[in-house]
Amino acid sequence: MAGFLANFYGQIVKRNTTFLASIFIGAFATELAFETGANGIWDQINKGRQWKDIKQRYMEADE
Amino acid sequence: MSLTQAASTLVRHSARQPLPALRHASAASVQQQRRHRADASTSHAQFKSPFHRGQQDSPDTTVIPSFKKYRGGSETGNKMFSYFMVGAFGGLSAMGAKDTVQNFLVNMSASADVLAQAKVEVDLAAIPEGKNVIIKWRGKPVFIRHRTSDEIKEAEGTDWQKLRDPQPDSARVKKPEWLIMLGVCTHLGCVPIGESGDFGGWFCPCHGSHYDISGRARKGPAPLNLEVPEYDFPEETNLIIG
Repeated sequence: MAGFLANFYGQIVKRNTTFLASIFIGAFATELAFETGANGIWDQINKGRQWKDIKQRYMEADE
Repeated sequence: MSLTQAASTLVRHSARQPLPALRHASAASVQQQRRHRADASTSHAQFKSPFHRGQQDSPDTTVIPSFKKYRGGSETGNKMFSYFMVGAFGGLSAMGAKDTVQNFLVNMSASADVLAQAKVEVDLAAIPEGKNVIIKWRGKPVFIRHRTSDEIKEAEGTDWQKLRDPQPDSARVKKPEWLIMLGVCTHLGCVPIGESGDFGGWFCPCHGSHYDISGRARKGPAPLNLEVPEYDFPEETNLIIG
């Protein structure tokens, strides 16, 4: 654990550029993960009630 | 000096050791005391001041108390914890800032109902040669003229350098037989009448502006040529405006 932390410190935190870059990349990844997860939960709760779920019924009848 | 010291020692002793009369209390009160023994305020343990050396009773100002008990973790671990907290809050602030900016920009973009009406599709096969069609696009009239070969020749042959708003016919059409432009007079925004005027094009009844067969202002108060919208021919007989 300590070895891993020391390695992490030396690789990323010690230089400000890499630290800042990793913060921004982390923020981007976190936002992506959060939004995907939140949308997944929403779709799960509203399964069968959204337009994309019932779309094919009306599209087939139309064409 | 020695008197005050003696007095304070006496007070301390009396506080630590209850009076003999109280020591022989009833069994119930002893039990109650036992129950409270874990509590620090009723504890009989000796208080060891960190400013006393050894068992000495007088304070020694040169003693540095040990803070070993309050120290925790390794140096790397503590450092990484601090940096992790800084980085995590920095990342959260970055997310917040990005969302704030994005919300403002999304707020400015066109809404879905506007985007749905932004494009108009026209079937050109239904328009015979030499005929005008007026359609509505974004709340404005759009003229579509299927020009004959004579009209194309006339529009291209005009000495356009001397016009009020000099523009060649090739800059106003993508296909010479199809002239597409906004039907709004550039003077004060009336809708010109087709196939009329002195130049065989359009005539604005409001203030008498004349446009030629390429939609260029030729006579009257209009300062500019009729505006040409963005359009495209995805297929041979299909037109999309917008």
